[in-house]
Amino acid sequence: MTTTALPATLRRGLVARRVPWTLVVFLVLATVPWVASRYDAFLAEQIVIDALFAVSLNLLLGTTGLVSFGHVAYFGVGAYVCGILMKTYGVPFSLAFPAAGLGTAVFALISGYFCVRLIKLYFAMLTLAFSQIVWAICYKWNDVTGGDQGLPEIPYPDLAWMDHVPGLSALGIGDRFYLLTLVLVAVSLAVLHRVVRSPFGRMLTTIRDNPERAAFIGVNVRAYQLAAFVAAGTFAGFAGALYGIFSRGVFADYVLWSKSAEVMIMTILGGMGFFWGPPVGAAALVWLNQAITSYTEYWPFVLGTILLVLLFALPGGIVGGIVGLWTRARGRRGA
Amino acid sequence: MAPSFLFSQFMGGLTTAMFLFLIASGLSLVFGVMRVINFAHGSFYMLGAYLAWQGVQWLHPTGAGFWAATLFAAAGVGVLGAVVERLFFRSLYGREELYQLLFTYALVLILGDAAKFLWGTGQLSVSTPPALAGSVQIFGTTQPIYSLFIIAIGPAIAFAGWLVLNRTGVGRMVRAAQMDREMLDALGANVGTLYTGMFVFSAFLAGLSGALVTPIQSIVPGMDVLIIVQAFIVVVIGGMGSFWGTFWGSVIYGEVLSFGILIFPGFSLFSVFALMAVILIVRPWGLFGRPL
Amino acid sequence: MGYRNRLALAAAAAALWPLAATAADTIKIGFPIPLSGPTAVYGEPILKGAELAVSEINAKGGVLGRKLELLSRDSKASADEAVRLARELIIKNGVDFLAGTLTSAEAPAVSTVAKENKIVFVAPTAKLTELTLPPQLHPYVFRVASNTDVEGRAGASLMAKWKDVKTVATIAPDYAYGRDSIASFVEKIKKLRPDIQIVDQQWPKLGEADFTPFITAQMGKKPDAVYCSLFAGDFVTFTKEATPLGYFKAIKNRLIDGAEVGTVDEAQALGDNYPYGIIADAYDPVIWGGAGEPAEHKAFEKNLQTFMKSKYGSGWAIVGYEAIEALAEGAKKAGSTKSDDVAKAMLGMTFDTPVGKRTFSATSHETLSPEYWGTMVKDAAYPFAVIKNPESLPPSSTN
Repeated sequence: MTTTALPATLRRGLVARRVPWTLVVFLVLATVPWVASRYDAFLAEQIVIDALFAVSLNLLLGTTGLVSFGHVAYFGVGAYVCGILMKTYGVPFSLAFPAAGLGTAVFALISGYFCVRLIKLYFAMLTLAFSQIVWAICYKWNDVTGGDQGLPEIPYPDLAWMDHVPGLSALGIGDRFYLLTLVLVAVSLAVLHRVVRSPFGRMLTTIRDNPERAAFIGVNVRAYQLAAFVAAGTFAGFAGALYGIFSRGVFADYVLWSKSAEVMIMTILGGMGFFWGPPVGAAALVWLNQAITSYTEYWPFVLGTILLVLLFALPGGIVGGIVGLWTRARGRRGA
Repeated sequence: MAPSFLFSQFMGGLTTAMFLFLIASGLSLVFGVMRVINFAHGSFYMLGAYLAWQGVQWLHPTGAGFWAATLFAAAGVGVLGAVVERLFFRSLYGREELYQLLFTYALVLILGDAAKFLWGTGQLSVSTPPALAGSVQIFGTTQPIYSLFIIAIGPAIAFAGWLVLNRTGVGRMVRAAQMDREMLDALGANVGTLYTGMFVFSAFLAGLSGALVTPIQSIVPGMDVLIIVQAFIVVVIGGMGSFWGTFWGSVIYGEVLSFGILIFPGFSLFSVFALMAVILIVRPWGLFGRPL
Repeated sequence: MGYRNRLALAAAAAALWPLAATAADTIKIGFPIPLSGPTAVYGEPILKGAELAVSEINAKGGVLGRKLELLSRDSKASADEAVRLARELIIKNGVDFLAGTLTSAEAPAVSTVAKENKIVFVAPTAKLTELTLPPQLHPYVFRVASNTDVEGRAGASLMAKWKDVKTVATIAPDYAYGRDSIASFVEKIKKLRPDIQIVDQQWPKLGEADFTPFITAQMGKKPDAVYCSLFAGDFVTFTKEATPLGYFKAIKNRLIDGAEVGTVDEAQALGDNYPYGIIADAYDPVIWGGAGEPAEHKAFEKNLQTFMKSKYGSGWAIVGYEAIEALAEGAKKAGSTKSDDVAKAMLGMTFDTPVGKRTFSATSHETLSPEYWGTMVKDAAYPFAVIKNPESLPPSSTN
């Protein structure tokens, strides 16, 4: 299993050049409303939200070694809580968004309690069971969730205050929401990054590598796993809340297990062993999807083949491949 | 409730159960021994159905045509399984299980589109072979002969599987591989061929089940994905690695559904998931599973 | 390549350039619809119908002197993918109009995007009433499909004619379409025949693999007749399982299905296993089992069969065809391709289809499309069931 930190040579290389790459990416993304085409701006927003969703999954997958097939349940609960509050009850975003996180956290706590008692595929299947039950509830509970028709026309948050910010007053509501999303996702990712680097995060890695040993030294493995589960679920809920507004509606499709598969592909494709692997995977998959589907209706064949090739060519995911190239390049130069 | 009505529901549940067991049996085999989560098992099942239809079209559509077409379908899918295992799966065994999952997911996409390309998006149907068409009266209820056939095949396969696993040399090797693959390898057994054989047999079973259900199912795109989750669930309910577990898991699921809809009409939508949740909470290893 | 050849190629390119420029001046219609997965069974023929309409209109010179161009995409039966595609088609491809979608979530999702971007959107299949009722109704959404009210009521009016039927059961897929169509049927049958009792209701899920438990449960209640909303692959599976159980025999084939199982697509799939004697409907019966077939219909079917390279075509293609016809007529009437103008022009507008005239209601933007109902019979000329004397049941006759 690959490490979660970049190899020393790369880190030194980055530090030596003193380039804060994450800040650079953030700033580039922040210029999108002015620089990119309108459609590319939508793609960027989708990538940003999916990045948060994928990183939250990787807290379970890569960091803690918990394979969840039902992560989409928390994405969906967050989307529905925020959407229902904003659309049906007119609650402002500033309250609905944290409420979505809170609601998801509670649900993750309850479902996670049962799930972490199981291991490996049994754990994965129970997470799937919960997510499908959530789906069935969203699909059927017409009065609250809109049933299989869902809740179209989720209102945008009230971003009139941006009128007073120099440079932003000219932006439409869509672009303003994009910037808000970018900031919220950036903050969430920073928090998750801290969590992964913290002693808590390191303990999760220890549990992943050898749960028996961890238990032997007195660690309450289940408690740590549950904490990771709740954290992962909460941030998935935030991603879901943002996605509902971005897609102008919350639908039962968001809670389908096929979406769980998609986010897992993003995470694995980008590279489970790296914190920034999943966001790269999200960008790759979103870009691939729109490129292939506009070209042919036989997109499954093309996408499947590309995934196959990447799987065999890049054992560590895309980021793993980049790191590998870098290390080899440095090695050849005699570092 | 009249006893004949209860008997009808019971038989109906058994039909559902054995239909699912046919599909899940191959999955159970491959997961039990090789610990491989073969998401593409549903695709093999779907290809078996399409190939059976194709076989019936080519051969004269008489009763004899159906059985030949079934064999053709199962063999065809078995060959596909061999190709997939030899070319791709081999190199994935040592790696993360998740990579195997990603591979089978890509395979599902590719095979699904191949089926769409070859047979289009329309719905197809195969008639029941005349030998098994019609129905009989049992205890005052009408029982379709083909359903009885399916109900009989299930335990037949389960028994045959148990026989092979527990009474033959090959079966002994398979059980040994399940317990400790490296040791078996060290002892000189050809584990590679064993694994290929298992995978091919599981694909064969999937193709066979796909062909056998065509008289009572419509063949549509997406049938691979519709069935795979349910198949996984009965494997998990029964306990992974236990062939009989999958059998009983299917039976329980079939009967719970059959009687559940009498009590709660909208039950079907989440019945299998609720059942799995309850069983896993109460028995974390499934009904007959052993700790991994 | 020699110098001369390169020059010739350049000259050819220069000569053709104006054509390319004209091509850019087409009227673009974005068409997201499921083309993979179980719903592709409908998506494909509907798209073919739309493509046929586009090719026919272009052959006649197009609309307002410009050709139509159809941009189709696979929506994967997913609401958010449909949203993304709608945005891509509007923003990146610059479509003038949108048509398509299939599932009950895709239509409202795309409708929202259409509303925000002020683009006319015509839905060919969505039957749920909410799409064209406030608050979802907006100036740019239109529907050529029928709706669950029309369908359920039509079925009830036919069931009411069986005077010796006293107990009725229903079976439908467990989601909004199934629930709504059954609800509308039940409401109407109770008004028409208060003596009828609903003795059983089954709700298998969409894509149910095995209907046997539902069939036996329903047979246990011994209904005289059944109203059914199962469709496509589900109807095929259901029939193949129900027949040997004696289901149809027990109800003497008195089953009415309002979910378009009278189409040739469905009949061909089942072949001789089709439960002859049931009453089914279709937007387009394709084969007119009886006299009185309109000439336009005959011509349409011939063209469709040639276009689809299929012997019998499809009973579903017509709704895709109608959606394009509606947009073309709307643009003609408005004299412009601006959605604001077209949306206004389409209110109360009547347009021609091979199965009769259709009019968009000025208030609800629907055509309240009637469907053709009739008994499914064996016809020596065809290897599958056909509708005998298809009868169009307009909403007025069933209200």
